[in-house]
Amino acid sequence: MNPSVIPGRGWRLPRHELALLAATVAVFVVTGWLDPNHTYVTNWAESSEIILRNTALLGIIALGAAVVIIAGGIDLSAGSMVAFSATTCGLILMVCSEPGDKRLVTVGPLGIAAAIGGAMASGLLVGTLHTWLITSIRLPPFIATLATLVGLRSFARAMCLFVTKERWGSESQQINVNTPFFSWLKEHNVVITTGTFLVLAILTWLILSRTVLGRHLYALGGNEQAARLSGVRTDNVKWFAYCFGSLTSALAGIFLMADSSVAQPGTLARGYELNAIAAAVVGGCSLQGGVGTVPGTVLGALFLRLVIDAVSKLIKASADVYEGMIVGIIVALAVTLTQVGRFSRTGRTLFAGGRGLAAIPTIATFAGLLAMMSSGNVEAFQGRTGLVGTAVGMAVLAALAVIRWLEGRRTP
Amino acid sequence: MTPIIAFRGVGKRFPGVVALDHVSFDLRQGECHAICGENGAGKSTLMKLLSGVITEHEGEILIRGEPAAFRGTRDAEAAGIAIIHQELNLVEQLSAAANIYLGREQRTPLGLLDDAAMEREAAALLAELECPIDPRTLAGTLRVGDQQLLEIAKALSLSSDVLIMDEPTSALTESEVARLDRVIARLRRRGVTILYISHKMDEVFRLADRITVLRDGRHVKTVDRTATSPREVTGWMVGREIADHGFHGVRSRGPQVLEVRRLTLPWPGHPRGYRLENISLALHAGEILGVAGLMGAGRTELLETIFGAGEPTWTGEIVVDGRPVRFTHPAEACAAGIAMVPEDRKRLGIFPDLDVAANVSLCGLRDAVRGGLVSRNREEALVAGPIRETGVKTSGPHAVITGLSGGNQQKCIIGRWLLAKPRILLLDDPTRGIDVGAKAELYQLIDRLCREGMAVILTSSELPELLSLADRIVVLADGRLTAEFSRAEATEQRILEAATGG
Repeated sequence: MNPSVIPGRGWRLPRHELALLAATVAVFVVTGWLDPNHTYVTNWAESSEIILRNTALLGIIALGAAVVIIAGGIDLSAGSMVAFSATTCGLILMVCSEPGDKRLVTVGPLGIAAAIGGAMASGLLVGTLHTWLITSIRLPPFIATLATLVGLRSFARAMCLFVTKERWGSESQQINVNTPFFSWLKEHNVVITTGTFLVLAILTWLILSRTVLGRHLYALGGNEQAARLSGVRTDNVKWFAYCFGSLTSALAGIFLMADSSVAQPGTLARGYELNAIAAAVVGGCSLQGGVGTVPGTVLGALFLRLVIDAVSKLIKASADVYEGMIVGIIVALAVTLTQVGRFSRTGRTLFAGGRGLAAIPTIATFAGLLAMMSSGNVEAFQGRTGLVGTAVGMAVLAALAVIRWLEGRRTP
Repeated sequence: MTPIIAFRGVGKRFPGVVALDHVSFDLRQGECHAICGENGAGKSTLMKLLSGVITEHEGEILIRGEPAAFRGTRDAEAAGIAIIHQELNLVEQLSAAANIYLGREQRTPLGLLDDAAMEREAAALLAELECPIDPRTLAGTLRVGDQQLLEIAKALSLSSDVLIMDEPTSALTESEVARLDRVIARLRRRGVTILYISHKMDEVFRLADRITVLRDGRHVKTVDRTATSPREVTGWMVGREIADHGFHGVRSRGPQVLEVRRLTLPWPGHPRGYRLENISLALHAGEILGVAGLMGAGRTELLETIFGAGEPTWTGEIVVDGRPVRFTHPAEACAAGIAMVPEDRKRLGIFPDLDVAANVSLCGLRDAVRGGLVSRNREEALVAGPIRETGVKTSGPHAVITGLSGGNQQKCIIGRWLLAKPRILLLDDPTRGIDVGAKAELYQLIDRLCREGMAVILTSSELPELLSLADRIVVLADGRLTAEFSRAEATEQRILEAATGG
């Protein structure tokens, strides 16, 4: 990030965002070209819909994560919050439906409004709980939101069992939602989620870069003590940040429930919190607090989803298996790349000493195994996956060894 | 005799800055050599070169006549050079002994840690340094002065014969300073060469055999202590003879704006039982009230309690404009017209990720709002006033704050508070760690604000500063108010006597 421009200010995109934009375009072009079916060209409408919808859902949660991270905190509870909000929404629909209607098709407009309002209110509730745990009980944010990450999902499941038993007489782990309004949401999910995401992004950008509250968020994250001593009501600013974080998850919960026509607290949105945090970090938010932008976070979410989509196209594996690996590698790479300058300035080396020596075969082994597994999905390599894996592993080994040798020559 | 260390044309360039430029001088075996210079003069860069923190430079450093090429701090340690940083490098959760032997732990024949041996040797080292602590005490629970001796013990256990001390007394009490003086004397008897970095003239002239002055990265002079005077050295540091800042023009004292009555702040779990006890004082518009006291006397606690930033457990009365107040948050004090510039600029004052304009505008940002949004133009117009008034030297309102010197950062923080239009200004040691030239500018600024009718409470660890600025001086000692002097009555001698309870 260009150090002479403060984050979130001005119209020019700082360097980090520009690099991310270039990388996003590059991934798009390369995938469109390498993809044997050229889906981005032949079936561009469907491809863009999938990417847009997934980006919007990840991005909505990532915006919440970014605000909390900029304020110097962390919210690990997003995935459980999504499940909690969806369950709340489904249960209110159930209560508002006619008795005996297990598909919830009979809910009227008031019931729908109550369900959506209830889901959003559940976000406020959790955000307030987080703030209280963090400011009054003085739990570290990591611990407070770890507790709700574990606790909320379980709470939502218990709530689901309890209400279904009370209402229908038999316990159920999930609630099917076929209310016409939510079916309509599902039908138009691309336009609606993407539109909501864009509106939310603009709103968040305005708050962060153009309001007093936004400045206080950066001040709080950058130096909490100084902010307090400057008369900033830091605890209230935290309240906003954590409520915003939970509200975005609650919003995503409504969309996800509509998409799958079911509120299933046991499995819905598991692990989403980490992808959201990853998107914010790839987008340039610093976990130290005080640094980060909305354009960066939006690009971070888009970039992550695009790479996940690209991998699923190129190696024809189911995307969700590889998703975690992709996110992990990208986060590590993105943060490493922002530090490359520092590496060359301080003369620090990548593979110094015994640790560096041990890292080289480690990385080569992982690379070889990964190549072997992914080549299994490519026709040309079928039956020769072992060979491919070994070749890639050896190549990486050789390449890293050369890098180490070059580093060794540079620093006598 | 070969000098133990010789700098030969040493230079260091950072992008856009020449930190050191052809510096040449020698250190003699066993001497105490003081390095003086304003902030930014190149003192710390020089020390980083010598201790292996920075590895690339121009020119040569000769150690016992041999050219040195350090690749890191370990090489410098192996060459017998140890540095005691201003910010101490201890692992607070480990014991004193474990800190001394960190990275070089002694082991039993079975390969397990030999705590007994390390504690025995640590105790011997510490005893030699007049540091009567149990080597099993956690480093984090020690007083700053003891932590410093712990670092020195660590250096001794490395059998270092060159010890660099970077402003070692900045956080010490008088008695700890006296003890450090004795430790330095003892180290010198052992033949240790000491490189003493300080800008406190009294220390430099008490301890040093020779003095080297740096200015703007250049070597100005190396002289014998006996051949010069503090005034002359200060003159070399700033490049001019500094005038005695006395603001002896008459200030017009206005109505009383703040009164503190019988203020007591308890300190649970401490043998003394209180941080402040039975403090009463009054402050008028248009005057500067100086608060003197040693480190830990309660100066910061007094200001924080008035400002609503400290522990809310105090008893007594605080009256602002005739109304009793009890602020629970700095925002309330701010609304009542009180501003506080905290003591630790880096930790409590600046926002390193925000630019100069955002750092200054924070307290008055609401005035730059139009239609619910902060207007960039209005914000720039808003901060232009305080930036000009406080004389901040910056390339523009959107420069990085961490690129400014300490003095300019401090002016930004004062400017921030001017936007809140306070009538009472609390300044907690505002010139700490600021170079001489910037200090003089800050004095003029404080004097001008006071003449414009602001009521100022100023704490300082430097008595001459209080003597030249304050209309009245109160003295705190161990949480109690022990004396009050008018400007005419106050002398360094009398204040120190009241502060040390003597």
